[in-house]
Amino acid sequence: MEVQVSPTGMACKPIEKKAGKTVIRLQHGDLTALPVDAFVFYAKEDLEIGSGYGTAIQSRGGASIKKELEKIGKIKMGEAVITGAGEMNARHIIHACGPKFQEPDLEKKLRECVMSSLRTADKVGLKTLAFPPMGTGFYGVPLDLSANVMLDCMKSFLEKGSSLKEVIICVIDYRDYVPFKKKMDTL
Amino acid sequence: MSNKRSYKCEKVIERLHKKVSRQILGSLEACVHCGMCTDQCHYVLANPGDVSYMPSYKADKLRKLFKAHIDWTGKKFPWWVSARSLYTDDELEELKDTVFGKCTNCRRCSINCPMGVDMATFNRMARGLLVSVGVMPQGVAVVAKDQWEIGNQMGVLKEDFLDTLQWMQEELQSEYDDPSIKIPIDKMDCDVVYSINPREAKYDPRTIADAAKIFHFAGENWTMASEGWDMTNFGLFNGDDELGGAVARRCYEATENLRGKKLVISECGHGYRSTRCEGQNWGQKDVNFKMESSVISMLRYIKEGKIKVDKTKNPEPVTFHDSCNNARSCGLTEEPRELLNMVCMDFREMYPNRAENFCCTGGGGAMSMSEYTPRRLKSAIIKANQLKETGAKTVVTSCHNCVDGLSDLIRHYKLDMKVTQLVNLVANALVVPEKRKAAAEVATLVGYKILLADDEADTLAFFSTVLEDNGATVILARDGDEALALARKEKPNLITLDLSMPGKDGGEVFEILRKDPELSAIKVCIITGKPELRRLIYDRPVTPPEGYLNKPVANEELILNMHKILGVAHDGKKK
Repeated sequence: MEVQVSPTGMACKPIEKKAGKTVIRLQHGDLTALPVDAFVFYAKEDLEIGSGYGTAIQSRGGASIKKELEKIGKIKMGEAVITGAGEMNARHIIHACGPKFQEPDLEKKLRECVMSSLRTADKVGLKTLAFPPMGTGFYGVPLDLSANVMLDCMKSFLEKGSSLKEVIICVIDYRDYVPFKKKMDTL
Repeated sequence: MSNKRSYKCEKVIERLHKKVSRQILGSLEACVHCGMCTDQCHYVLANPGDVSYMPSYKADKLRKLFKAHIDWTGKKFPWWVSARSLYTDDELEELKDTVFGKCTNCRRCSINCPMGVDMATFNRMARGLLVSVGVMPQGVAVVAKDQWEIGNQMGVLKEDFLDTLQWMQEELQSEYDDPSIKIPIDKMDCDVVYSINPREAKYDPRTIADAAKIFHFAGENWTMASEGWDMTNFGLFNGDDELGGAVARRCYEATENLRGKKLVISECGHGYRSTRCEGQNWGQKDVNFKMESSVISMLRYIKEGKIKVDKTKNPEPVTFHDSCNNARSCGLTEEPRELLNMVCMDFREMYPNRAENFCCTGGGGAMSMSEYTPRRLKSAIIKANQLKETGAKTVVTSCHNCVDGLSDLIRHYKLDMKVTQLVNLVANALVVPEKRKAAAEVATLVGYKILLADDEADTLAFFSTVLEDNGATVILARDGDEALALARKEKPNLITLDLSMPGKDGGEVFEILRKDPELSAIKVCIITGKPELRRLIYDRPVTPPEGYLNKPVANEELILNMHKILGVAHDGKKK
């Protein structure tokens, strides 16, 4: 039962753009299964992993991630912390706390959250980093806003030089893919 | 009273203006408080005298808001039309308790309203308004997030899904000694793309095998998709049209990209309604293929002579529970009855039935809201009485939510009944042409030591008989402390754990097992009669259990899952 290209990803052709020396790639896939140095998890202040990508982190990664988070305790809105990724294909997880459910100053907080993720990755010298569409879906951040903020942050951060060679935006379906592609086309 | 409004209330009111469609407007304006809806609601009937369950009372909570902000009468004469805005987060919590905890959106009141007020539609809208500001029961949040981010509402990972399909394929091949039986994945240009409820992959894979068996013997050119296979849609339950649209589109796009000619939807009431009827509106997408309930597919196979069935294989009396979404919202009432009469000897109606049937009480996402379990089960007395009066030993339903809701109330009210689905009955009645041979009955668990931990003597006796008959060495523990002591002493291959036990409960035992280096490799299967406790296990800071079953557990289901967890094939060989 080998599956090459999943049916929801067939229409999501990968797109690449460069920012500084770093490649930004938009692709379809399973964020928590990617063999990257780290992926970003859209975290809460209390760092509870919960469901969604959290389900995958707990199932694939094992118990060590939660233990690391318990030691860290809490983070503030806009901040990011890094842990190991247990038994996952990735080596690390960056837990970045972003805005949820129409809360005030949403755009500003989202920008801080994306920038913190990039800074954390750069600080420990990561080469590949994958993001989900930050805050969209369950937390209700509009897709267009997320695409604009994420790609603007990436461009401005990476053009100044970074350890990162590749930054991936990993979408789960075509609905997520379209606004990111639209923004990528303007870069 | 302060007129200062909380931030969340501001956002709810802002969104209210965008959400009031013509249909909702009609329902909000039309109520004349005649009271016809009152006796239609299972919550009201089970709680006589408690007005807070009356549909018109519940509707008025939202109607007051509508009057205050949208309707001109409320602006001119607020005191006369009881216009009232929302100001505090506590009021949002109170509204949450009503719209999530006192209504299953079953629409029985809606179809009995002489004014055409669709209570369920604006109850759903109210849920959506609350969800948009993060106010929702915890279980609803868990399920919705899984569906958004994993792609299905039970968080079944792709590798687990494919592994389950592979396992079911091997079971079928072994059962019929026929390697040509396949469960195809992502096959292009098929006549049928089969979509399922993730509950089937996670807790009830036999329904997938039964469907595969029917497709195979009908000679169908079919496939399943490796993604976009979940036809359920939590957006219907939590009122989030964005989620509704995203999920429906994934299902449609998987079918389109595989160039499938028809999307067949397995037996699930809300899944059928969401995918077949609502999803194209939510997702703003037209589709170029047909959509059909698997009930209709199975019926057609029999009528067209593609499969043959022998109803004497299902001789016991059965009754049929109409799912609210299938019957009231989609009109799927006659096909399941026609099919039942073809595959069962003794089909008995329950009364009332079809569109007038009462809710199983598990609808509208109620099974995920554990905080409301006591009131759900109290209201289930109406359904329990309906079931009892049929005298049937089996209740058939075409909905996975109903399977869980009915199983829970049957357990609670101690009815001597089991729940099954049409696909199981059709598969059982199937006359298999030139069946080569069924695998010989073999003791498949010889050499495996299994520790059963449960405080119910009947459960221990039943499980141990089934497992010993299959060759396993069985050890029994009646509470959590004894389970741990025996685990240390006997080092079993597998432990089944009840969650509610005297002393240490199953959750504590599970965590201790996982954290102990000497015991952490022992495989664990949670077997519980309290599905609402499921989340507590998965939230523990340890690797999740290898298996999970809801009571009551049939012997075939128990063996099947022991095989799966231990990696034993149908014929007893190690996989």
